[in-house]
Amino acid sequence: MRTDLRLAWLLVRGSDRWEWWRIALTVAGAMCATGLGLAAAVLASVHGQYRFSFGNGLLDHPGERSGVIVTLLLLLVPVLGLLGQCARIGAVHRDRRMAVLRLAGAEPGRVRRIAALETGLACLLGSALATAGAAAVLTAVWEQPTAAAWAGIALVAVCVPVLGTAAVVLALRRVVASPLGWVRRSHPRSGRGPGLLFVGGLLVVGVAALGAVAGTSVDSNYAGPGTGPLIVCAVVLAVGAGAVWLTGALSRLTGRLLAARTGSPAVLIAAERLRDDPWAAARTHAAVLLVTVVGTGFVGVRQALLAHLETMDGSYGFAQDAAFYTTGLNLTAAAIALALAIILTALAVGTAESVATRRRGLAAQVAAGVPRRVLARALLLETALPLAPAVLVAGTGGLAIGIWYGHLAGDGGWPMPYTALPVPAGVYATCLLTAAASLPLLRRSVRPAELRYV
Amino acid sequence: MSNRPVPLLVARDLVKSHDRTPALRGAALELGEGEIVAVTGTSGSGKSTLLHCLAGIVRPDGGSVTYAGKRVDTLPEHRLSELRRTDFGVVFQFGQLIPELTAVDNVALPLMLAGTARGAAQEQAGAWLERFGVRKQEAARPGELSGGQAQRVALARALVTGPRVVFADEPTGALDSLASEQVMTALVGAAREAGAAVLLITHDAQVAAYADREVRLQDGVTVGSGVLA
Amino acid sequence: MSTRHILLGLLAGGPSHGYDLKRRHDEHFPQARPLAYGQVYTTLQRLVRDSLAEVEGTDSDGGPERTLYRLTEEGSREVATWAGQVTPPAPFVTNEIFAKVVVAILTDGDPAAHLLAQRAAHMERMRELTALKTAPGSGLATVLSADYALNHLDADLRWMTTTQARLTTLTAQTVEVDRS
Repeated sequence: MRTDLRLAWLLVRGSDRWEWWRIALTVAGAMCATGLGLAAAVLASVHGQYRFSFGNGLLDHPGERSGVIVTLLLLLVPVLGLLGQCARIGAVHRDRRMAVLRLAGAEPGRVRRIAALETGLACLLGSALATAGAAAVLTAVWEQPTAAAWAGIALVAVCVPVLGTAAVVLALRRVVASPLGWVRRSHPRSGRGPGLLFVGGLLVVGVAALGAVAGTSVDSNYAGPGTGPLIVCAVVLAVGAGAVWLTGALSRLTGRLLAARTGSPAVLIAAERLRDDPWAAARTHAAVLLVTVVGTGFVGVRQALLAHLETMDGSYGFAQDAAFYTTGLNLTAAAIALALAIILTALAVGTAESVATRRRGLAAQVAAGVPRRVLARALLLETALPLAPAVLVAGTGGLAIGIWYGHLAGDGGWPMPYTALPVPAGVYATCLLTAAASLPLLRRSVRPAELRYV
Repeated sequence: MSNRPVPLLVARDLVKSHDRTPALRGAALELGEGEIVAVTGTSGSGKSTLLHCLAGIVRPDGGSVTYAGKRVDTLPEHRLSELRRTDFGVVFQFGQLIPELTAVDNVALPLMLAGTARGAAQEQAGAWLERFGVRKQEAARPGELSGGQAQRVALARALVTGPRVVFADEPTGALDSLASEQVMTALVGAAREAGAAVLLITHDAQVAAYADREVRLQDGVTVGSGVLA
Repeated sequence: MSTRHILLGLLAGGPSHGYDLKRRHDEHFPQARPLAYGQVYTTLQRLVRDSLAEVEGTDSDGGPERTLYRLTEEGSREVATWAGQVTPPAPFVTNEIFAKVVVAILTDGDPAAHLLAQRAAHMERMRELTALKTAPGSGLATVLSADYALNHLDADLRWMTTTQARLTTLTAQTVEVDRS
């Protein structure tokens, strides 16, 4: 184990800029994950009615508190996506290095252990930093944290690095099989369509919904412990998997249709890349779609709820303070914005990685006289083409949620949530901007110097 | 000697360093119209850098490159890019084919960049693939081709636009001697037929023997008949 | 390689006369030096003397009289043994280029310039051979013979390249050995 640790350290120390980027992003991702987990754990450790000095009373009642906890846990999904994306940085380089280790006589288990140690150490660092920060904040805002709160913190701090390491071992189970991995000529496809995951998610939704219906019929006030969050999780899972499937299928379809017909070199290159590996970007794009649905739906719900609050002001015994609701809405908005930011980071990382991995080939294209702007346009189209129809569908879904909620909350009409309309367009535009942000990298990394080793 | 070809590409006193490592230290070379010249030398003698300077892929730190009577090394990047697209063709050891495109689309790409319609470009590309004996593989992607087939597709891509100069950097470096013989025969035959000049970088004397003459590079300087008499 | 054994091999296909043997030899080995008639006849006479071949008869359909030769039993055995034997890898190759380099060092000449000139000569010959083998209509026998020669010249060239890179050390050692 000590030699493994030393080897892992030597490999990290001798690695290039890309590897350092991966490590830094992994640390940041682990920090995010730990932070969210810690907040959820501390809130969960509080039982019953409790008076918090902040949050406008939103955290005081157990019901709303569990809602906040679920939101925090849901935010873990995009963070995990980001971590997954980070693992892809330098994947080709890493595969090669591991294959060389295997050739030198290391057993598969050992190679896997070395790779897991590299990521595990990064996760441990991120987790330690986040825990230290959280502990400082906690002692500042809460005079006497309970033992349960500390126990939760310790649990999360340990779990994040362990889970991160486990995820790497899982992700690398196929990579280290062959000592000759590095001679592989055709590049590996990134997995098959997530059909199984989609069906599984739907099944969970169905079972949970049935359980919820059964629960409410027995006792109309209490729908059984944990059924609500379970349904939400399952719906998110199903929508997410469906979104991956949709983007993947759309990518492949767009690619195939365009590749056969287009006369433009940039479109041809982008379309053939999509057709060749439609699932590569689908995972990040799926997260974009998820946030589009949730974001559009939320803005619609928000418009309806605010209108409702204005008309109902003081006449019902909802809450003494409208700030209770607005704080809740603002917190949710912040959570969605955070999710979007994380997803955009993942998107940027993905695009940058795609350029970095292909930089030799791209340099050869430029040397052969393919103008940089054709390559840049192809890179943008790779994001823009499949995302346009997918965002349209997701936006429509989100609008439907908004209209439906407005119908329920209002007086039976079908109000149009106009404020939600710019959301899908905004998400699409930010995604394009993010992809465009990686273009300077194309200019920088596609240099003739790359040709020296061709 | 009598009827020397007119110099088409002339390099004088080329100096180029990578970071602080000198690669070229006053190399000179002339390439006549339709002439096939092999540049040989040990690894690290500056062969590839010389090709990059001549093809306008990198700018030399000193000296001049003249193509058809005009300075090339001072042209702006977009003009260089255009020159490489229209007048030059390049073949590397590997990597010049886009892995996601089929063989025929890879060859049609330079034509499409020049504004030819897809169908017409594919037709011309198909004819070149036929000429190099890889027509059957036109729907295959580079990963599915053997090394020799991939290089013949690369040759087709370099020659499809009718370039006046073909730059070949170790085009047979990854091939066995039989595949290498096929690629060289195809390259030299097609270039002679089209009247294109070839600048061939190689460390293999048997490959260099396909050329009309040899220019030898030693420590970044050309020795022997770099410049026409 | 001996003309003797090649002629025996050609005779193995059936009785033949001298002119035919020469013609077949030159066709099978296009890159070898063409055989002279005189050499064919003296070799055949020696084969008869050693009882590896014998005279089958003479025919003269109108032209000059020609002697037909055929293989004896002993001759077939001899040719089979020869063809089956592994050719001994040459233990030492007489290397004129190396000798000239050493002499150039000893006589204060310019061995580097000599190697460069030799390289040019080798390359010139390799270009001729490559042109020969890629010329349209050249048969496989020509291609293979040219390849054989090309590979040997290439080996010489590689040896010259490494020697060139070690000339300084070689000069020092040669001078030292000469002095002691």
